[in-house]
Amino acid sequence: MSMNFSEFKKLIGADPGNKDPETLRARHSSPEFEAAADEAEVFEAKLQTALHIQPPVDLLDQIKGISQQPVRQRNWVPLAMAASLLIVVGAAGLVWKQSHTWDSVESYVADHYSYDGSDTAAKATDFLSDQDISKILAKLDARADQQLANRIKFIKFCPTPDGRGAHMVVSTDQGPMTIFYMPKTQVTDGEMVKFDQMHALLVTLDHGSAAIIGDQSQNVESLVAIVRNSLKTGLVDV
Amino acid sequence: MNTDTERTRRFSELAEAYSTDLYRYAMWICGNDALAKDLVQETFLRAWRALDSLKDVAAAKSWLITILRREFARTFERKVPPFTDLEKVVIVDDNELKPDESTERDLLRQGILKLDPKYRDPLLLQAVFGHSCAEIAEQLGITKSAVMTQLFRAREKLKVQLQKDGVTGNVHELF
Repeated sequence: MSMNFSEFKKLIGADPGNKDPETLRARHSSPEFEAAADEAEVFEAKLQTALHIQPPVDLLDQIKGISQQPVRQRNWVPLAMAASLLIVVGAAGLVWKQSHTWDSVESYVADHYSYDGSDTAAKATDFLSDQDISKILAKLDARADQQLANRIKFIKFCPTPDGRGAHMVVSTDQGPMTIFYMPKTQVTDGEMVKFDQMHALLVTLDHGSAAIIGDQSQNVESLVAIVRNSLKTGLVDV
Repeated sequence: MNTDTERTRRFSELAEAYSTDLYRYAMWICGNDALAKDLVQETFLRAWRALDSLKDVAAAKSWLITILRREFARTFERKVPPFTDLEKVVIVDDNELKPDESTERDLLRQGILKLDPKYRDPLLLQAVFGHSCAEIAEQLGITKSAVMTQLFRAREKLKVQLQKDGVTGNVHELF
């Protein structure tokens, strides 16, 4: 049975490129059908024009650069510098961690920062390349977007209460602040921890958490949105 | 051929084939150029890590769209992005469009951004990626009949908006 005009309009309104024989037969069955099909094609051309957006010129190059990152399943990542850093920092961290236990995230943050926070912040003088940052964060199934990556002046692996994490120093207009990224540690979002002359704001992330640490004159809340939005975590699950 | 070289080649081919359409799609679902770029990069980062699980090259487009949609859902749970002035990101060759056509294009763009996602999603999958109704149904997990209805209504809503705003001529309020 041939379709009526209402059915035909709905069909070409839903699928203007429909070229099946029945639709074509209906189209050519009368001037009214033909006009409706022509009208649908004109609208489709306008829709295509409206949808046409050029991507940023550097997008493709940036995407292709992703393939330079190590794949998690492999064991042989030929990154001598990263490996050296891992061994040195990991060994130091292991010694430190073996001599410390933490009964809470709060005590971990205070203890960790007291151990090397100030020294590390003082040594962080130059901004790092995206590659240096991704070498560390990729191992933690994380990534820093430009908004955060552009501020990072130091990054290394560090122990956390629940395994390996990252210790970062970031530049702000109030001076350097420190971020501990704890991939497997749960915190109370928004809790402020005070110790010595410092304070640390605990922030939950998609996966794990972070502590944003500054001296008590610094507004650590100012980094919350950047950390939440730009520290992409839990990247293994597709 | 070295498997790593082969893997990188496969990834590059995916990037070349789909990054532009994925960016367009991301831009229209989130309305924010920085977030769209981020979504596409995130999509390809996840794709790179999971590339070995992609056995059927023909399924690559749908696979990437699925990754992007999941990533967008995650992002959207965290925050609602501010909409961007489209003129900042659209490269427009106005020499090819007459003033009336340019106005219509702008009205349509605003209409697309205003569409309810249940209408916009199938429309974008069809118009940006060239998905068939059956493919859209599979992607969105709805029936083909529902897809047809939503596509028809999406276009009707855009046409109504075009006529309504075209008559009142309030294009200057759009951006």
